[in-house]
Amino acid sequence: MEQLMNILKELRPEVDFETETALIDGAILDSFDLVSLIGELNEAFHIEISFDDVEPENFNSAEAMMSLIRRLQEEDS
Amino acid sequence: MTVNSLSFLAFLAVTVLVYYLIPKKTQWVCLLIASLYFCWTLGNGLLGYLSLTCLSTYAAVRLMGRLDEKLEKQLAGLAPAQKKQQKNVVRKQKKRILAGALVLNFGILVLVKYDDFLVGNLNRFLGIWGRGNLTSPGFLVPLGISYYTLQSMGYALDVYKGKVKPEKSFWKTALFLCFFPQMTQGPIGRFPDLAPQLFAGRSFSYDNLAMGCRRILWGIFKKAVIADRMKPVVDTIFGHPNRYSGMTIFLGCIYMSIQVYADFSAYMDIVAGAAQLFGIRIAENFRRPFFSMSLAEYWRRWHMTLSGWFRDYLFYPLSISKPAVRFGKIGKKYFGIRIGRLFPAIYAMVIVWFSTGLWHDASWRYVLWGAANGAVMIASMCLEPCFRKLKQALHIPEESRGWKLFSMLRTFLLVSLLKVFPGAGSTKEALKLLKKIFTDFGAELSYEAFFPKMEAMHLAFIGVGLAAFLMVSIFQEKAPARANLARKPMAVRWCCYFLLITCILCMGAFEIEMVGGFAYAQY
Repeated sequence: MEQLMNILKELRPEVDFETETALIDGAILDSFDLVSLIGELNEAFHIEISFDDVEPENFNSAEAMMSLIRRLQEEDS
Repeated sequence: MTVNSLSFLAFLAVTVLVYYLIPKKTQWVCLLIASLYFCWTLGNGLLGYLSLTCLSTYAAVRLMGRLDEKLEKQLAGLAPAQKKQQKNVVRKQKKRILAGALVLNFGILVLVKYDDFLVGNLNRFLGIWGRGNLTSPGFLVPLGISYYTLQSMGYALDVYKGKVKPEKSFWKTALFLCFFPQMTQGPIGRFPDLAPQLFAGRSFSYDNLAMGCRRILWGIFKKAVIADRMKPVVDTIFGHPNRYSGMTIFLGCIYMSIQVYADFSAYMDIVAGAAQLFGIRIAENFRRPFFSMSLAEYWRRWHMTLSGWFRDYLFYPLSISKPAVRFGKIGKKYFGIRIGRLFPAIYAMVIVWFSTGLWHDASWRYVLWGAANGAVMIASMCLEPCFRKLKQALHIPEESRGWKLFSMLRTFLLVSLLKVFPGAGSTKEALKLLKKIFTDFGAELSYEAFFPKMEAMHLAFIGVGLAAFLMVSIFQEKAPARANLARKPMAVRWCCYFLLITCILCMGAFEIEMVGGFAYAQY
């Protein structure tokens, strides 16, 4: 979780990622942020986020992103 | 039958009447029959093309749905490794089905809409070797094909992703694809938002009737008093650009920007109002785009269902695709981490804006228009830190009203300037006009230079229309609750209705040569 928070804070330092639950639905992260974030997550966690996973519910909060990362890591193992 | 015609309003009234008189469980059939009749009146073989899209979409989503159901049963009792393997097998099968549907439907769109463009370019290319006498099949383009193709393929993509369960009834699928208010110019609906509303039964509601009628009235006002009155001056300037200076041509771009917005948003108000009469809320296409402070924001507020479609189904898959990732790595290597990170998005944006240009029209001037939009956005992304530093150095308070107004004006003028591409008759002319604006501005303070061939009375009517439009937009932006007429006292409401109807009847452009269809229907 710490690694994820570091990536998120580097991306948008002004956002409180610990409490925010509508990052995509509330347009806090735009499409460019999301694309950049996906690239970072793929690299940092050795996963491959596919088109099927690009859904607001997977990126609305840090918690949701962590669940997605865990699921993809489990699928890969 | 355009949606601002009396025949449409009569057709709508009859459909609404029948809809509420029949049993609730058959109401969707009423909508389907009305929609098929509406499509039939639009001609150009629309019903034939639409049938192909309905059949292929229905077959594709049902097949993908069956594979998902089968997979669910198979997964029970399997070890994780086998589960993953089975999932991959099914994903591949679904991908093939999806690819078939995409190729067929976009193939039809390309064949019908882009045949002249493709054959013309092929002839030009073959002309290098002294050949190039191919003739285009010259298909008639059915109205709305660009819109319902995107809607149907968006639905298929959602089913592929497992986001949506496929509809089992063919006729209900057909209704989702041809619901008449949004048939000719969108909005491009999403299945989870629109379909359940179409299939549900409803009792008559006075609120829906009042809200629907209000919105239709507002749409007709914008169309008749602003858009149709402004059209002649735009046509005059772009019809004979050699007669005018760079300043008048630039003014023509600004007029076109306002006219197209008034026209398209009027259409949206009329069709959203029409759907509201049935208690159905269709997706919104505009969120006051001229209040945008950047071009990227403008595109998040303008034609939102189209930009949303391109974002979700083209931009995202492209920007996380393998070539984009490779492109990003190259970017990081040569331009550093900050710019390199933007490369996947830049890669996707180039393709998205090329497609957006082509979607609007099969011509190079629209491709250039798309490229210009994309280039401005890419440049602003890359130069964002420089702008930020410059603003800090100049002590520009970003939250100040002055800066916000300046940013809005800058965005509006840029959007308007780019209208030179759709306004001009050809790519060559568009570039010529653009050059004229910058090199031969020729500022002239005369009525004819500002409003060529426009009677003072027309100008006064447009002024009244624009003042009302601006006032309502400011209210909607600043205080949406105050902009809601339903909450006002009855006397205020009826005064507004009376004023609107009077304005439409007295100031609307009902002279035969002025009344036109809707600009975005051609796309």
